[in-house]
Amino acid sequence: MSALLAEQNIYATAFSEIVDRLPGRGLDWLDHLRKGSIERFVQLGFPTTRLEDWKYTNVSPIARRTFHHVLSPSRTQVADSMRSQVDLVPGPRLVFVDGILDRSLSLKPDCDGGLKLCSIAESLRDPQQAAALERHLGRYPGLPDHAFVAWNTAFFADGAYIEIPAGEVVMRPIHLVFISSGAGQPIAAHPRNVIVVGDGARAALVETFLSVPGQASLTNAVTGIVAGANAAVDYYQMECESTDSFHVATVNASLARNADFTSHTFSFGAALTRNDLVVTLDGEGAQCRLDGLFLVEGDRLVDNHTEIDHRQPHATSRELYKGILSGYGQGVFNGAIIVRKDAQKTDAVQHSKNLLLSDHAQINTKPQLEIRANDVRCAHGASIGQLDQESMFYLKTRGIDSRAARQMLIRGFAAEILDGIRVPDIRRQSADLLDAWFESSLEAA
Amino acid sequence: MLRIRNLHASIDGREILRGLSLGVQAGEVHAIMGPNGSGKSTFAQVLAGRDIYKVAADELSFDGHDLIGMAPELRARSGLFLAFQYPVEIPGVSNLYFLRSAVNSVRKHRGLPEFDAVDFISVAKHCAAQFGLDDAMLKRAVNEGFSGGEKKRNEILQMMLLEPRLAILDETDSGLDIDALKVVARGINAMRRPGRAIVLVTHYQRLLDYVEPDQVHVLVGGSIVRSGTKELALELEQRGYSWLEQPVAVET
Repeated sequence: MSALLAEQNIYATAFSEIVDRLPGRGLDWLDHLRKGSIERFVQLGFPTTRLEDWKYTNVSPIARRTFHHVLSPSRTQVADSMRSQVDLVPGPRLVFVDGILDRSLSLKPDCDGGLKLCSIAESLRDPQQAAALERHLGRYPGLPDHAFVAWNTAFFADGAYIEIPAGEVVMRPIHLVFISSGAGQPIAAHPRNVIVVGDGARAALVETFLSVPGQASLTNAVTGIVAGANAAVDYYQMECESTDSFHVATVNASLARNADFTSHTFSFGAALTRNDLVVTLDGEGAQCRLDGLFLVEGDRLVDNHTEIDHRQPHATSRELYKGILSGYGQGVFNGAIIVRKDAQKTDAVQHSKNLLLSDHAQINTKPQLEIRANDVRCAHGASIGQLDQESMFYLKTRGIDSRAARQMLIRGFAAEILDGIRVPDIRRQSADLLDAWFESSLEAA
Repeated sequence: MLRIRNLHASIDGREILRGLSLGVQAGEVHAIMGPNGSGKSTFAQVLAGRDIYKVAADELSFDGHDLIGMAPELRARSGLFLAFQYPVEIPGVSNLYFLRSAVNSVRKHRGLPEFDAVDFISVAKHCAAQFGLDDAMLKRAVNEGFSGGEKKRNEILQMMLLEPRLAILDETDSGLDIDALKVVARGINAMRRPGRAIVLVTHYQRLLDYVEPDQVHVLVGGSIVRSGTKELALELEQRGYSWLEQPVAVET
């Protein structure tokens, strides 16, 4: 514990060194927020496995490293292999390298139909926009005990600020790309994104996380999404980092009346991934669908914590997380569903399905239901299985070899998630990444 | 084509096949009949290479290949086909993709060019149409949500596409109404060729009204206790199996 405290003190010192250069310095509310956050971070310390929420996720590989923070854009060339992933989704995009906006890689929306897509650091320089941001940044995203969120709030140097006016339909997906450059030293990036979707507006949003292999890096992202009445948001998180990277991402979505939020959370590559997805159904008739797919091999770990807070009546939530685990890979799924006293006629269904491909892989899956209303439908289920031997035999009797049969069954298992992807480029990329993972996990085996 | 002498198969120390012997020539249709629990399905699964059974035989060969220890996919590529009694449902895998993978792996083995997705669709549709099958079945996940009859027809469709040398049909008639039975029988008859053998494994005689066998064998207690012509099947239909279920001297 004392060793961990020493680490936090390193960051307290680092904070005092850079605080004057952080964006929004001089805004009273933000100075106050950052100061409170670094104090909170030091006080909380890195979570240990003694905490229920971190029981299976040991973050000491993050805690025992010293990460550096950068405040100016990296000069590192983005590798060509990454270029294709940056270009993956046609449409407006912001690209952040080590947490700082890279203008040369970004593309502004080509027609300004009212979509605002800018750097949060820039927006904080404009008094009017800063005032608007205060409403969204002026509090933790509902997770006061989350040390990584506090760390992000203290240190964030940039991120995306997106505002979609009421009634606006954004035709092409908005792409946010976060790249860890792997330049020189281990770098921690803390992107902070604020996405405000007006009443009746519709948009798809893709967050892609990439890292250059070879250097340890941490991405600790916080994304807040506010969806107005009747708004529809289709959100994708593509974690495609290298096994040298650590990935912590917290997404908080708040939904007004009849708003519709879907999310797809994909975890493909980082050594350690912790995702917290909190959805608050804060209006009657709001609905969300949360899908997730994670793949682990080697000794990687992916931890998905979700929380769906049903606060108002007649809201619907659907959740399906699937994990494919090989080698010594580990997975965690913790799905909380809270149904408040007033949230009558809530309809919530949660499933966690896991496919174990080796004897050493491990999954801990847990539903966590707190139901305080009496007229609700809440169902949940969890399954953990292996490749079905009957199915394997059936495929082989058709001439299909063992390897191809395994791949076919794995694709079949993932199809339930992939088929729900509404952005074709993302659907194709996810299928490709699944196949690439299959190849690499075979090599590792 | 298929030569079996003194085949034994056991699972969990329980012996199911006890000294089964059978010879099938190219162009022939054989029916294997027998009461429940006589080992019919085990026999079919053992031929296809199911590795949960412990198998021993003086001879077990197909087209000159020794089947003992041969992987199921290699048997399939060599031209052996098993239509399952209970076809397996494979969610998330489209029937068309599955069929193409199967056909291409067999074609590759035979030195034939593989089908691309576009060409294969027309081949599969053509086969399905010949056989009165709805195209929609091709697009659905393999056997998922198929009715019993659809599953059996999907097995016959696979047989037509894979063009095996030896087809073993395990209770393909079970669970079919009379119309579906006729459709399936038509599919089987369309497959009859001088160079191809078919083994029908069945409990009832009724399929044999539509697919006329050259030989009928009665399997009881894990070995063949009687062989004859199609008249034997009619006799079984009238008299049942009990008259054959006397303890038989089994060679050990």
